[in-house]
Amino acid sequence: MSDVREVIIDSIHRVAEQNDLEISNELTDESILLQSGLDSLGFAILVADLEDNLGIDPFVMMDEPVYPTTLGEFVAIYEKFTKQEG
Amino acid sequence: MESNKPKVALVTGGNRGLGLAIVKSLIDDDYSVVAAARSNTPELEELIANSDKVFFEPLDLSKRQEIHGWSKRFVEKYGAPYALINNAAIAHDGVLGTMHESQIEDVISINVTGTLILTKYISRAMLRNRLGRIVNISSIIASTGFNGLSVYAASKAALNGFTKSLARELGKINITVNAVAPGYMETSMSEGINDTQLDQIRRRSALKRLAETSEVASTVKYLLSKEAAAITGSILTVDAGNTA
Repeated sequence: MSDVREVIIDSIHRVAEQNDLEISNELTDESILLQSGLDSLGFAILVADLEDNLGIDPFVMMDEPVYPTTLGEFVAIYEKFTKQEG
Repeated sequence: MESNKPKVALVTGGNRGLGLAIVKSLIDDDYSVVAAARSNTPELEELIANSDKVFFEPLDLSKRQEIHGWSKRFVEKYGAPYALINNAAIAHDGVLGTMHESQIEDVISINVTGTLILTKYISRAMLRNRLGRIVNISSIIASTGFNGLSVYAASKAALNGFTKSLARELGKINITVNAVAPGYMETSMSEGINDTQLDQIRRRSALKRLAETSEVASTVKYLLSKEAAAITGSILTVDAGNTA
């Protein structure tokens, strides 16, 4: 498991707990984000939380809007932009 | 948030006119106030010299690409603000038919786009605290109209719609979003209105006068208070009864 992936999974659980949301099943790369238990506002909090922890918001750095569907796509975006920043 | 620390309020356009009146009103109530504007003014400098609770940060809302970085640095320096007062705005006076395209773009860019983007990033800092107050300074012109201010009116009507929808988005995490719609006040913003028009506005107002900037500022302060915790998605008119 990559460090970025681990930070994201931790953050999802933390945001869910703080906002009384329940994460449905075990999270895998195929997990559909909007069926994972976080609602749209939960995702906004997650992105803000990850900006604190990883120091980047890849969605701000992108030239075009991108909305990942699965956890795997979400993690891949963060991995790509973390490498670029590093 | 630690209760013994003063709550931080960010006031855009806090260097003059209504924005400065809001800054003054909030420091009286023990907020720590950051006035963000394109430039400092002697009036704001004097306030800063006489208070350890007022700060100035240069901010140009027309520079869209810089707002994310600015917001990040703001939160690192001052912490997540308790309140954001979106007061910065420009107005170009003139009929639409002869208004230069660049002026139309300027008004929308600062009053709407820049304000919405700043709110995006500052509200994200509030999300983590599950606490916050956002006040958008609108205008009665958003609903009444005024000859020669159609673009400005459009920008303020946009803020009214923004206020109501954002209140619904952020309500469940205890962030309120409201607008204050002032009537005509004697500030540099109403310089395009001549004395005859101002007299007419006074005559047509229920209270036979204009609203003072301090009266609008105290309405903003009320929306930040504990007593206003149940108010969200509202547009409060402060116009001495001009639209009564």
